[in-house]
Amino acid sequence: MPTDATTVVELLEWAAAHGEIGVRLLERGEHESWRSWASIRDRALVVCGGLQALGARPGDSVATVFPTGYPFLEAFFGALLAGAVPVPLYPPVRLGRLDEYHRRTAAMLRAVRARVVLADPRVRRLLGPAVLAAEPPLGCLELDALPAGPARAAAVSPDDLGLVQFSSGTTVEPKPVALAHRALVAQARLLNAHWPDRDGAGHSGVSWLPLYHDMGLIGCVLPALERPGPLTLIPPEEFVVRPALWLQAISRYRATLSAAPNFAYALCTRKVRDEEMDGVDLSSWQVAINGAETVVPEVVRGFTDRFARWGFRRAAMTPVYGLSEAALAVTFSDPWRPCRSRHFDRAALAAGRAVPADTGLELVSVGRPLPGFEVAIADGRPGRLDDGQVGRVLVRGPSLMAGYLHQDEATARTLRDGWLDTGDRGFLLDGELHLTGRDKDVLIVNGQNHAPEELERATESLAGVRAGCAVAVAFRPEGAVTDEVLLLVESARDAVVDDPAGLARRCAEQVLAATGVVPARVEVLAPGTLPRTSSGKLRRQEALRRFLDGTLAPPRPVTAALLAGATVRSGLAFLRARLRRGGGRGPA
Amino acid sequence: MTDAEILAGITEVARDHLGWEGALRPEMRLVGEMQLDSLKLLTLAIEVENRFRVRLDDEDESRIETVADLVAAIRKRRAD
Repeated sequence: MPTDATTVVELLEWAAAHGEIGVRLLERGEHESWRSWASIRDRALVVCGGLQALGARPGDSVATVFPTGYPFLEAFFGALLAGAVPVPLYPPVRLGRLDEYHRRTAAMLRAVRARVVLADPRVRRLLGPAVLAAEPPLGCLELDALPAGPARAAAVSPDDLGLVQFSSGTTVEPKPVALAHRALVAQARLLNAHWPDRDGAGHSGVSWLPLYHDMGLIGCVLPALERPGPLTLIPPEEFVVRPALWLQAISRYRATLSAAPNFAYALCTRKVRDEEMDGVDLSSWQVAINGAETVVPEVVRGFTDRFARWGFRRAAMTPVYGLSEAALAVTFSDPWRPCRSRHFDRAALAAGRAVPADTGLELVSVGRPLPGFEVAIADGRPGRLDDGQVGRVLVRGPSLMAGYLHQDEATARTLRDGWLDTGDRGFLLDGELHLTGRDKDVLIVNGQNHAPEELERATESLAGVRAGCAVAVAFRPEGAVTDEVLLLVESARDAVVDDPAGLARRCAEQVLAATGVVPARVEVLAPGTLPRTSSGKLRRQEALRRFLDGTLAPPRPVTAALLAGATVRSGLAFLRARLRRGGGRGPA
Repeated sequence: MTDAEILAGITEVARDHLGWEGALRPEMRLVGEMQLDSLKLLTLAIEVENRFRVRLDDEDESRIETVADLVAAIRKRRAD
């Protein structure tokens, strides 16, 4: 029987009423545990009472910092039961780089005006400086340290906020995406409707995706409540180190649904050894969702070919498109058909038209809008573009964000007349969406979003670099299996760059230290080379286009032009070399 | 286990799991010279724990910047 729940709290109650349904957790050494939704709800009520005794009020932002585990769920649902708005943030990465983590976390806490932070005991010890900088009025507590108090579940309406998630984890301008209960429930319902139970058999999910990420929380946990159906969670760090755990878990628990970004499918193809697949049977896996990153045709083929031996079904691979501002998914390809890709003429694409060709750029279809969603392609003028014309992707539908929290201007720029401007570029062909790139400059590396400003600012303090004159852009060299970051920096006007390679290496080190991203390529350019708008703002996509064309050159002196020309030529030689190798560098 | 043996073990982990070729020197910075991004740092931490059968403490860990720091943290954990 379907639920008529209109809030996430009602979804939890609905699932809790099915005593036999819950969450299985696979941890280190494949230690397995299980809790029913009813027991998770009971523990969440204790957290709710604690938050209320502490002074948290309905509508407050409650930041939560937990690794994958039951306490994450208890804190998340505890905040919701209190009528507060959970804001899941990610725990620190391992081995150092704590300064960067503190800066980011403090920026996010401030952006949502967090009233209190709930944290895992191990994480809490490391949060000090971030909490000190953001000063949440009710402090930073472990769940066990919450005061005891009677829980009075708050009245929650569908229009109340149910989650704030960050569209990119950045210190520069963190964008807190605020989602109402109505949007969250609508998204969970749309997802489940897209893969109805077949032949009376219920679905079951396995996920290693971080719970502080929309694909993990909204895409895996909420549908498991709405159906409700069994869900197995694996901590993401275990997957990264032993990707085979994911495939083994799908086999062991006969999972039908599991999702991951492109890089994870590439990681499995490269890293999983044949002997780790002994006895593994992937034939139960009906829907292998591939989203949150550009879907790369070579990766899809590589994974499908490699794992067919162990029962992976060609039809299972299901590319999707979505974004955190739409709660999650906007388009889905047909889950029962093999994924479709086509080649398009490169010159025509550059001119804004999608013309199928025998060779050229191969693009994967990310499918059709989910029911209730509409996709339009526009170019800034009134009206929509026709099929096959490349433009900006606009979407509207039942699970769009209420707005960026406390950021009215940014909200007004992004949400207009009910349409969400995604910042992505693409075209529709036969009703199916294809993505060609981004207008918005967010960099997506290993499934994580980064603001380009973060990488650009990291180089500013270096001697020999012209402050404020760097651009970071993502692109996928032909033959590479993931997007890579290109950093273009101008040398200082008065600097004599006698060792451009050394300066480029120092830029790369600075960027890595500040952001955790390794730029695949750094180019040092003469001052004035990067294209700018009339108001002096750097034009990143234009810089990338010129770099790839080999037309990136400074307007003036001959000597500087020679320098820039030389670096561009070496850049092209690098790309050609990579093309010949027929492969690129992947993550990890 | 001596520091040299621990270093040799870390070198093997880096070779087997990070594709690191060549020697590791104690003064090498993990992020600077070794160019390890978040995924690789995570891989190194977990594989080192598996190899030496220790669990690194978060507070130790946040201070690890060089190969020598990592050696010292492992030595300390093994002594516990």
